[in-house]
Amino acid sequence: MTAAPDIITAGRRQTAALSIFLVVQTLGTVFFVGDVIGDLRADPMSVHFIFEAVVTAALVLGILFGTFALRRTIELLRAQDQALAVARGALSDVIDRQFQAWALTPAERDVGFLALKGLDVAEIAELRGAAQGTVRAQLTRIYSKAGVSGRAQFAAFFVEDLLGAAVPAAA
Amino acid sequence: MATPRTTAAPPSLWDPVVRITHWGIAVSVLVNAALDEGGSLLHVSLGWLVLALLVLRLVWGVLGPREARFSAFPPNPVAALRHVRQLASGRVRHYPSHNPAGALMAYAFWACLALVTVTGLVMTGGATPMQVADDKAAVASGDWSALIRESEGESSEDGDNSLRHTAEEVHEVVANLLLILAALHVVGVFVEARALRRSLVAPMVLGQRRK
Repeated sequence: MTAAPDIITAGRRQTAALSIFLVVQTLGTVFFVGDVIGDLRADPMSVHFIFEAVVTAALVLGILFGTFALRRTIELLRAQDQALAVARGALSDVIDRQFQAWALTPAERDVGFLALKGLDVAEIAELRGAAQGTVRAQLTRIYSKAGVSGRAQFAAFFVEDLLGAAVPAAA
Repeated sequence: MATPRTTAAPPSLWDPVVRITHWGIAVSVLVNAALDEGGSLLHVSLGWLVLALLVLRLVWGVLGPREARFSAFPPNPVAALRHVRQLASGRVRHYPSHNPAGALMAYAFWACLALVTVTGLVMTGGATPMQVADDKAAVASGDWSALIRESEGESSEDGDNSLRHTAEEVHEVVANLLLILAALHVVGVFVEARALRRSLVAPMVLGQRRK
């Protein structure tokens, strides 16, 4: 879970760097275009002018392609961001439905969620302002309702769905 | 963070091109209006920078992501008036990009910026900052031919001279208009943010701080 913000930060840095580069590129191109227009008034048939005009046209094309590539990058990042949000939402939907199917009480659902997030008994007790014994008893009831042997199997119940049937053969 | 983005919501963070061009132009205009002297090296350099940023933003308006494109905020004075009326009554709609009044402001800014930079180019005869620096260095070292060349260019053709004069007038008027628009823009942002109960500045800076 902690990797997700890093991907977003890295994406932001990348697009910001590309944008700054694009600004510098545009500045250079604007200068060149100004220069070419000046030359055009001086001597439009000179080799100097023709050469510079070609270079400037390449610069302009470079900006257009750079802009287009940057837009694609930004849209790709957004799509990933959205896919991640959808996946999270979907997973929490699955968990909700399963908790309902097991007929967990609201308190048990909260404890179950926290347990799935990887919090230990002491942390859950502190968060909920309950005694550790209470939390331990709730967890035991959750495991028995779910028909799992303990926390590892409880968590694996949901991960298994995500992994699908792909269990690789032992190497 | 986990809330999915709906298409109707404005961006929680504008893309970097929009932000860089916005703040680059804002700072350059303020510095050129208040801090430096017209015709100075800094003034001319910032003018060229504004021209480049403006060109990039206009290209971005065609090729950029959806909410940065002109098609997301077409100029529509009727819708702009309606939006201002809604704002006065306290009920405002959310828009996927700029609101219609803000959009009109953006187009007004771009028109003024184009006028200011082009008239600036006419006034300097299209001199790049390098040429301005060269001329100033030449004059400083006692070679006044740069000044003569400039005045010759002006006196040789009366039409050119009057064109420069007109450009100077337009440059002054539009520059002041820009400052008025900027003040209106800031007021508009604050009023809109109050009505929507969300920050409009954060998306233009770094977005919401992560929890």
